[in-house]
Amino acid sequence: MSFLRIHAQPGRTAIWTLSWSLFAAGIVLYFYVAQQRHRENPDDRVMPTIAQMVRGFSDAALKPAAEEEVQAASGSSLLARFRTSMLWTDTLASGRRFLISVALLFPAVLLGLHMAMFPVIGAFFLRFILFFDKIVALSLLPILFIAFGIDELSKIMLIVIGVTPTIILDTFNLTKSVPREQIVKGFTLGASDFSITYRIVFKQIWPRVLNSIRLNLKAVMLFLFAGEMIASTDGLAYRIALLRRHMGMDTIIPYVLWVALLLFLVDFAMNKLNHKLHPWFQER
Amino acid sequence: MLLPQLNISLDDLTLPSGRGSVTLAKRGTCFRSAASIALAIGLMASTPVRAATPSFTVGWSVYVGWNPYYYMAKSGILRKWAAKYGINIRVQRFDYAPSLDAFVAKNIDACAMTNMEALDMPAAAGVDTTAIIIGDYSNGNDAVIVRHNLTLAQIPGKQVMLVEKTVSQYLFERAMAINGLEQQIRQVHYLNTSDSDIASAFLTNQSKPVVVTWKPLVSQILKAKDVKVVFNSSQIPGEILDLLVVPSEVLNRADGSGQKFAKAITGAWYEVLKLMSVPGPASNKVLTDIAEASQDSLASYREQLATTHMFYTPQSAVDMASSAGVKKTMDLVRRFCFQHGLLGEKTKSVDDVAVQFPDGAVLGKPERIRFRFSTAYMQLAAQGKL
Amino acid sequence: MLERAIQIDNVHVDYPVAGQASRSVLNGISLQIESGEFVAIVGETGCGKSTLLRLILGEEKPTRGRLLLNGCERWQPDRHCGYVPQKYSLFPDKTVLDNVTFGPEVTAFGAWSGLRWIRPLQMRLFREEALRYLRHTGLDESDARKYPYQLSGGMQQRVAIAQALIMKPPILLMDEAFSALDSATRTGMQRLIKKLWRESGTTVVFVTHNTREAVCLGTRVIALAKNGDGNRGSSIALDLGVPDLDFDSEEIDIGKLVREVDRATARERPLVYN
Repeated sequence: MSFLRIHAQPGRTAIWTLSWSLFAAGIVLYFYVAQQRHRENPDDRVMPTIAQMVRGFSDAALKPAAEEEVQAASGSSLLARFRTSMLWTDTLASGRRFLISVALLFPAVLLGLHMAMFPVIGAFFLRFILFFDKIVALSLLPILFIAFGIDELSKIMLIVIGVTPTIILDTFNLTKSVPREQIVKGFTLGASDFSITYRIVFKQIWPRVLNSIRLNLKAVMLFLFAGEMIASTDGLAYRIALLRRHMGMDTIIPYVLWVALLLFLVDFAMNKLNHKLHPWFQER
Repeated sequence: MLLPQLNISLDDLTLPSGRGSVTLAKRGTCFRSAASIALAIGLMASTPVRAATPSFTVGWSVYVGWNPYYYMAKSGILRKWAAKYGINIRVQRFDYAPSLDAFVAKNIDACAMTNMEALDMPAAAGVDTTAIIIGDYSNGNDAVIVRHNLTLAQIPGKQVMLVEKTVSQYLFERAMAINGLEQQIRQVHYLNTSDSDIASAFLTNQSKPVVVTWKPLVSQILKAKDVKVVFNSSQIPGEILDLLVVPSEVLNRADGSGQKFAKAITGAWYEVLKLMSVPGPASNKVLTDIAEASQDSLASYREQLATTHMFYTPQSAVDMASSAGVKKTMDLVRRFCFQHGLLGEKTKSVDDVAVQFPDGAVLGKPERIRFRFSTAYMQLAAQGKL
Repeated sequence: MLERAIQIDNVHVDYPVAGQASRSVLNGISLQIESGEFVAIVGETGCGKSTLLRLILGEEKPTRGRLLLNGCERWQPDRHCGYVPQKYSLFPDKTVLDNVTFGPEVTAFGAWSGLRWIRPLQMRLFREEALRYLRHTGLDESDARKYPYQLSGGMQQRVAIAQALIMKPPILLMDEAFSALDSATRTGMQRLIKKLWRESGTTVVFVTHNTREAVCLGTRVIALAKNGDGNRGSSIALDLGVPDLDFDSEEIDIGKLVREVDRATARERPLVYN
C-alpha cells in the first residue's frame, strides 16, 4: 500500500488520471441518471441530456437576444450572431458590473495599506471596519435601495460593501506582516514615509493583495448574482433567474459552466500575470 | 490572509423582508435550484423502500388559499382521513419555487400550485399532472399598482417592477389586453425583481412608477401615499386558480393507494373548509389557527380571504371546473406561457402541452395530454361518498 | 568640538506590563563610542542587546537617561545609521542593483523616486556607484541583475552591506548580521567587514551573541549581563578593549579572551574593568 503513503511518488500518468477521475465520475454519473430519467419521461427538464444542453447553449450563444433582431441575425457570420446573442449580451452586462466592482476594490487596498502603515489612520478606521466586515450586506438591501436606487449603482454597491471590508482587512494584515526590518532599513536609507509606504511596503505586498483579490472573485460574483437576481433587466444571473421559472435547466447548466469557465479564466490570467509582472514573487 | 474568506451559499441569498419570509413566499422564486437538484439526485440514487402502509407527501407553500393544509395536519383532521383509507399522509411546507422543483423531480406526491405553474412547470417538463382539488381563485389578491394616478395607457415606455414570467406578468398583460393596449405591451420595460425585496424596492424608489405583485405585499405597498391599484385579479375572475395537483401516475397506481390518497386528502380538505366557512365569529378560532401558518393575525388573514374566492363547497368547485370559463382561461394561460417560452425552448407548438378537462375535451394534441382537470374526487365529496 | 559618535548616559528602558510594575530591560547603561571605532556588543539572549541597538537606531526611546548621536537626540531611524539586520535585509521585490541604488534614489528624488526613469543620467551615476560598491563586497555584474531569493545567505548579506555603505553612514549597525550563515561563509564575511571598516573609517556597532565573533571583530567588546534580580535589566558587565586582530595571527590567545568575556557576562553583578 505504499502508494497511499506520504512518501508516495505517483508518476505523470497517475497524477493526470487521478486529477481527472472525479470530473469523469461526475459527468458519467450525471448522464447515467439523466438517461434514466429521460427513459421514464422523455420531456424531463430537471436533468437535460448532452444533446439538450448543446442545443440550449447554442441557442443561447447564437440566437439573438431581442426578438426584433431576428432578421439581422439570420445569414450573418457566426461571430456576428454570437455578438447579438443572449449569452454575449448577458456576459457583457454582468462583466461590466464585475469589472467596475473589482476596480472599486483598489481604493480599499490603499485604505488597508495606510491603516497598517499609519497608526492614526489605523486607529480611526480599524474597529469600524472590523465591525462593518461582520455585517451581512444582503440584509441591508432596503437601505441600499434608498441610498443607491435599484439600478446599476445599488448592485455595484452591494458588491463593494460585501467585499471591500475583507480586502481592506486582508491588505491590513499583509501590510502588518512586512518585517519591521524593511521599514527601518528604508528609513536608514533616507526614504520618506511616502517612499516607504509605496516603494517598499506596497510593492512587496502587491502580488499577495492580487492573490487575495483572486480569492475574493467568487465573493464578488456571488454578490453580483444576488444583486442581479433581486432586480435587473439583464445579466447572467437575471437570465438564470428567468430560466428557472420554467426549469430551463438545459440552458441553466451550460450558463453555470460558462460562468465557472469565465471566472476560472480571469483567475488563471490574474495568476499568470501576477507572476509575469513580479518574477521575484515565489508563492503560488 | 488570516481573515476567513467570504463563504456564502446561494441559499443564504434569499432573505426575508417585510412581515417575515414565510408570508412572502407564494409564487416566489427562490434560488434553490442547486439544492433541489442535489436533493433530486440524492433521492433518485436511493431506491425508495416502500413501507407496508403506503405513504404520501403533500407539499404546500404559504398563501392564503393553501394555509388550510397546515391546519389540516395540525388539527388531526388529516390523520383521521388517512387512517380511514389505511395510508400515511405527510404535509410539508416549502418555499414556493422549491416546492415546484420537488414536485417536478417527483420527490413529493402532491403539491399546491397555480394553474399557470402546473402547466409550465410539471406539465411542460413531461410530468403528466392531474389537478384533483380546485381550492380558490385570486379575486383581487394580485394587483397592478401605480404611483401618481398613472393610467394603464401611460405605462408603455416606463419600467414595471414584477417577478417576470409569473402570474404577475400574466395579470399585467391581461390588464393591457383587456384595455385594448395589447400592441403596446412590447414597449413596457420589465424590471425583474425578487419577491422577497419587491415591496421595499418599490417603496424606496420613487423613479419606478409601476409594480405588479400579490398579497400580502400588495397590502404593504398600499399603506404608502400616492399609490393606487389600477387593475387587480378580481377583474379577471377565475383565471388565477389555486390547485392541488398530483402526478397522474400516482393516481393510477396498480394497488389503488393513489386513489385512496386522493380521496383522503379531498375529504380532509373539505372538512377544513367547512369549518372555515362558518359565518361570523364562530370561525375565529379555526381561522386564527390557519393564519398561524403564515404568522399572520386573524384580521390580516380575513383581509386576504376577502380578496380570495374560496370554493368552500365541493359542488362549487366542480361547477367551476366543468364550466366553459375554465377552458377559456386555460387557453389564455397556455398561449401566454408559450408566447413567453415558458413551455420550453423546444416546444414548437402551443398544442404540444395539451390540457384535458373533466368533460373529456382536450386543448391541444390529444396524444400529448400533460395536464388534466379531474372532478372525480370533488364530486365524491359533494355526494358525501368519501 | 568634536562630538562623540555615540553618547549614552545612564539610560533606562522599562516596558510596561499590564497590572504589574513595569519590567526593566536596560538599567542605567552608560557608554561612549568614539568615531571610527569597531564596537562589538555581546551578551546572552534576552540581555538587552537588541534594545540597545534599537535605541541607537532611534526605533525606541529611553524611559530615562539620554542618548546622543553626534550630539543629537534621536526621533526615528534615519540616514545617520546604516543598518544590516540578520534577516529581511533586502527588499525582495527589487534586483540587487535596485536594492543598492534605492538609498541614493530616494535621497536624491524624494517622494518622486518612483519616477526615477525620467532622470536617466543621474540613475546611471547611481548604478555605476552601486556596481563599485557591489564589487567591493565581492559581487559582480551578473549578480546585480538577480533578485534576492536567487542569492545565498552570504551573498544577500554582502548586498545588504553594500546597500548600507553606499549611503556613507557615520555609523553602521549590524544586528547579528552573520548569525544565520554557515561557519565558512561567516568567516569570509567577518574578514570582509573588517576590511571595509578599515577602508571606510566608519563607526561600526556589531551586535552578536557569539563571543568569539565579538572578540575577533571588535576593537572594543561590550558585554551585557542580566542582573540576578529578574525584574531589573542589564547594565554593562564588561567594557574590554581588544587589539585590532588579524584573523590569522597567533599573537593573542583569543580563547583566553573569549573565556574572560564569557565569565563576565555570566556574572550577576557588573564587573568594573580598567
